[in-house]
Amino acid sequence: MIGYILRRLGWGIPVLWLVATATFVLMHIVPGGPFDQEKSLPPEIRANVDAKYHLDRPVLTQYYFYLGDLLRGDLGPSYKYLGRNVNDMIRETFPVSMQLGLWAVLISVVLGIGAGVVAAARPLSWMDHTGMFLATAGISLPSFVIGTFLILIFSYRLHLFPAALWEGWRYTVLPAVTLALLPMAYIARLTRSSLLEVLHKDFIRTVRAKGFGERQVLLKHALKNSITPVVSFLGPLTATLVTGSFVVEFIFSVPGMGRYFITAVTNRDYPLIMGVTLVYAVLIVVANILVDLVYIWLDPRMRIKNDS
Amino acid sequence: MIRRIAAIVLILCATALWVLASARPPHPWDESTFRMTLSNEPPTLDWNLATDSVSFDVLINLMEGLTEYDEHLRPRPAVARSWEVSSDGRTYLFHLREDARWSDGKPVTAGDFEYSWKRLLDPKTAAEYAYFLYDIEGAEDYNTGKTDRPESVGVRALDNRTLQVRLRKPIVFFPSIVTFMVTYPMRRDIVEKFGERWTEPGSIVTDGPFVLDEWRHEYKLSLRPNPYYYGTRPALDRVVMFVVNETTTALTLYETGDLEMATLPPEAMSVYRGKPEYFTAPILRGYYYGFNVLKPPFTDPRVRRAFSMAIDRKEFPAILKRGEIPASFWVPPGMPYFNSAIGLPFDPDTARGLLAEAGFPGGRGFPAVTASFNTSPENSLIAENLQAQWKRNLGVQVLLDNQEWKVYLKRLQTDPPPLFRLGWGADYPDPDNFLNLFTSTSGNNRTRWKNNRYDELIRSAAADPNPLRRQKAYDEAQRILLEKDSAIMPLFVATQNWVIKPYVRGLRINALELLELKNVRLEKS
Amino acid sequence: MRFIQSHPNIIISGGFILIVCFAALTAPWLAPYPFDQQDTHSILQGPGAQHWMGTDRLGRDLFSRLLYGARMSMAVGIFTALFAVLFGTIYGAVSGYMGGRADNILMRIVDLVYSLPDLLLIILITVTIGRGVLGIFLALSLVSWVTVARIIRGEVLKLREFSYVEAARAVGAPHHRILFFHILPNTLGVLIVTLTFRIPAAILAESTLSFIGLGIAPPFASWGSMANEGWSAMKFYPHLILFPSLVLFLTMVAFNVLGDALRDALDPEHRQRSA
Repeated sequence: MIGYILRRLGWGIPVLWLVATATFVLMHIVPGGPFDQEKSLPPEIRANVDAKYHLDRPVLTQYYFYLGDLLRGDLGPSYKYLGRNVNDMIRETFPVSMQLGLWAVLISVVLGIGAGVVAAARPLSWMDHTGMFLATAGISLPSFVIGTFLILIFSYRLHLFPAALWEGWRYTVLPAVTLALLPMAYIARLTRSSLLEVLHKDFIRTVRAKGFGERQVLLKHALKNSITPVVSFLGPLTATLVTGSFVVEFIFSVPGMGRYFITAVTNRDYPLIMGVTLVYAVLIVVANILVDLVYIWLDPRMRIKNDS
Repeated sequence: MIRRIAAIVLILCATALWVLASARPPHPWDESTFRMTLSNEPPTLDWNLATDSVSFDVLINLMEGLTEYDEHLRPRPAVARSWEVSSDGRTYLFHLREDARWSDGKPVTAGDFEYSWKRLLDPKTAAEYAYFLYDIEGAEDYNTGKTDRPESVGVRALDNRTLQVRLRKPIVFFPSIVTFMVTYPMRRDIVEKFGERWTEPGSIVTDGPFVLDEWRHEYKLSLRPNPYYYGTRPALDRVVMFVVNETTTALTLYETGDLEMATLPPEAMSVYRGKPEYFTAPILRGYYYGFNVLKPPFTDPRVRRAFSMAIDRKEFPAILKRGEIPASFWVPPGMPYFNSAIGLPFDPDTARGLLAEAGFPGGRGFPAVTASFNTSPENSLIAENLQAQWKRNLGVQVLLDNQEWKVYLKRLQTDPPPLFRLGWGADYPDPDNFLNLFTSTSGNNRTRWKNNRYDELIRSAAADPNPLRRQKAYDEAQRILLEKDSAIMPLFVATQNWVIKPYVRGLRINALELLELKNVRLEKS
Repeated sequence: MRFIQSHPNIIISGGFILIVCFAALTAPWLAPYPFDQQDTHSILQGPGAQHWMGTDRLGRDLFSRLLYGARMSMAVGIFTALFAVLFGTIYGAVSGYMGGRADNILMRIVDLVYSLPDLLLIILITVTIGRGVLGIFLALSLVSWVTVARIIRGEVLKLREFSYVEAARAVGAPHHRILFFHILPNTLGVLIVTLTFRIPAAILAESTLSFIGLGIAPPFASWGSMANEGWSAMKFYPHLILFPSLVLFLTMVAFNVLGDALRDALDPEHRQRSA
């Protein structure tokens, strides 16, 4: 088991290197550099700035410098926010996005799987139809629509929850719900269809014939076998949510990492772009490994396949 | 079975939500905290480098200069307890207070002012507001690199408590100039020790009523009283400034009790008009679109005049709804020497004639030009309106483009677009402050327009104590700027609209929009 | 008649989509006002006789802008989805058919694209190519083809094992013939369903992009940019965001319902169980 985890982590390193390289290439393809707008600086200052950030060297050299810094865990200084480190910027904002993201994952998993199970347990009942109708509605709503309506109703009209900021527990509710709605709907649909498929398999008939109660059949036997697609979906989803949703953080003025995905590019802030991309890539790699581990726990047959 | 589980889960969720919803923010007067918003993240808190009103809102509470404003916007002693002027009006001697201290306990010395002013003028600092002190002898030469000896600049600390300033020529409003943030004193040891990071909390040292306690970038700043401040300690225990771009979000935060004051967005005016929480006042702040006169087709003054005359400015207050004052003049009402009769009128026929004269009859053959502005909903509205009016009245299609504030500012510094939006809020209540923006040497002149007569007029008026002569000079200058050469087209003058909680006392609303919080206290009843 | 009775979802959702497409195509004739005509005397009016859905901050008719916005949103949505499905299908089919090392490498590339944050790639591309329709279309397509590739590859891997493929090869049919004439037609069901689900995903992506302010530039409208304009006035003039959101929502629901219904009809594995 440990060996398996270590091997997977080992595979993660070349992936990260590839991601770093791919991002580096993409950034340098994009026209315009971070300091092109600093032409008004006296030439000696400009030269100093360029030298400091290695921008006067050939691209390959810059690449080597960058990799070197990365290996030391140094993501470099921000090109746009002078005096600030990318490490610090991520350190300050990532925990906020993570907190918001984890709440959203929790809500969507609990309510999503719950709704899916209820719908699959009584197919074509009113609960099923209502649930699935709501789920289809859920995947059809962009998060800015959900967010704005929640604010409109619960903040502007009812004054129940704050419209923005991040100063305490009250402030997490609306953003977390907004973030959770779409995944929740997806998970509900996914759970339902997967569960229904499993419920028709032969082994379930066997279990029923053995005399197990419906609840045990459902939760113990069927659910465990049908949860695989949900787990696959959850992996990258968690990585995405935890690195911050730009739209939700923008609407609710939450001091998270999400906004850097946009502003870093428009500002050509190379180190920041690399920083957030790498954080995202690391999370994806970790998420994939965790997903595979959950597979193995759920279905021991996978273990054999993976170890070979 | 399923139903029971579902019911339990739903009840739990509802309870959790109800508990969360009913929790309220603590009463503001328990720990006397004043909460407000800033429309953007301050680009910098280094007061030699700061240029915009957001940075200013923060700095005016952190720092104090030689002088400050009274209720009538006249300069009065602050760190300087008195000053004398020589008979030729060119030498000022400022005597500093004995008890003015920095937030680390060290006394504020005349040397701190000398260091700050020389750093402002040092070409290596590349400070945009360096020109602010050009009236000091030797300042311009030093800043433009004609000499590299800072000793040649006419500011000297004669001893720890005496600052001597020699001006190139008499400037009657010099005491007003030294209220402004770029002239605040600065600590050489702090700047040299911490380098670029010296403005972060923990390293920054200030001499005003408050200190910077926390700065969570792009989210909020927190201020606390300065234990070493010489004046009365502020009644507030804490000031929190949140960075919130949307005015309606800020208003809702105000309504739910999360803020003590907020700017009133135009849509809300009808709701709040007449209520005691509502405050409105004119501001010495105007907005304009400038032309980069080096970029064709705006090299031709006829095209610039055509563009200006093709706009009906009365549409702006209808769109923005904040009681904006349409303006073809540049010096705003409320400023001494204001003259409403100046400026190009709305005259689409003449505009079309001018455009035809310039070689683009009916807009035909007019090259594609882009109008640029910094990202904000109001700016978009005005830009789209201008775009539509130019199309309607001149037959010209203008493209639009926008960036976030910081990036936009840098663009204006290096390569101003052919049409760009800018505003200006008075640094001090004198028309010189509005008009010297467009002299050939001004760092704020993005138009690249130069006119010797204009420069001469501004120069002479600044030294002239005679009001009649000053009026004439400023009138002529405005006519050159706006009517003859039309280097800019003014749009409107702004008003300020606030809602302030009734338990807030001591906040003075003034035409310079100075948000001084040192006298503010929160009163329970 | 029986088809309609047994597949009401397809008819209703398909019908709605056709109406929206029709409205989008005929917008210049259907719209009562030009989308960029400003009327400063009728600013921010609610729905009424003169303006069915009210006006925005510059006095532009919301209903007309909604129709023109439909062109933008639907065009981007449909063409992006088409391109993503086209490219993704070929990529995934080739990868799945070839198998072995080639498949491995191709799928690693897919993994790499998956490891890069979507939004970042989209912004990078729009910033390089520009904010016009082309830039947005390219950006969105380049990010979404990977999902299709994975799905089609999965299908091809399964179909490849069927005996008729072996038979075809025994007869000497070249690979590309087998792939395009034998295997791919059997993925048609999955393909159509995937396409139907890709379209709302693309529309969603475009509106989110416009909402952030990085979509199409003014005065052109898309539903997302209209929602952006309405958002800041939402407290006092909710109609500005209500109508674009509603139309967006209904269109997306229609596509999703259609996708579900088509999947039931065309993809035997996913047929809804009726207990």
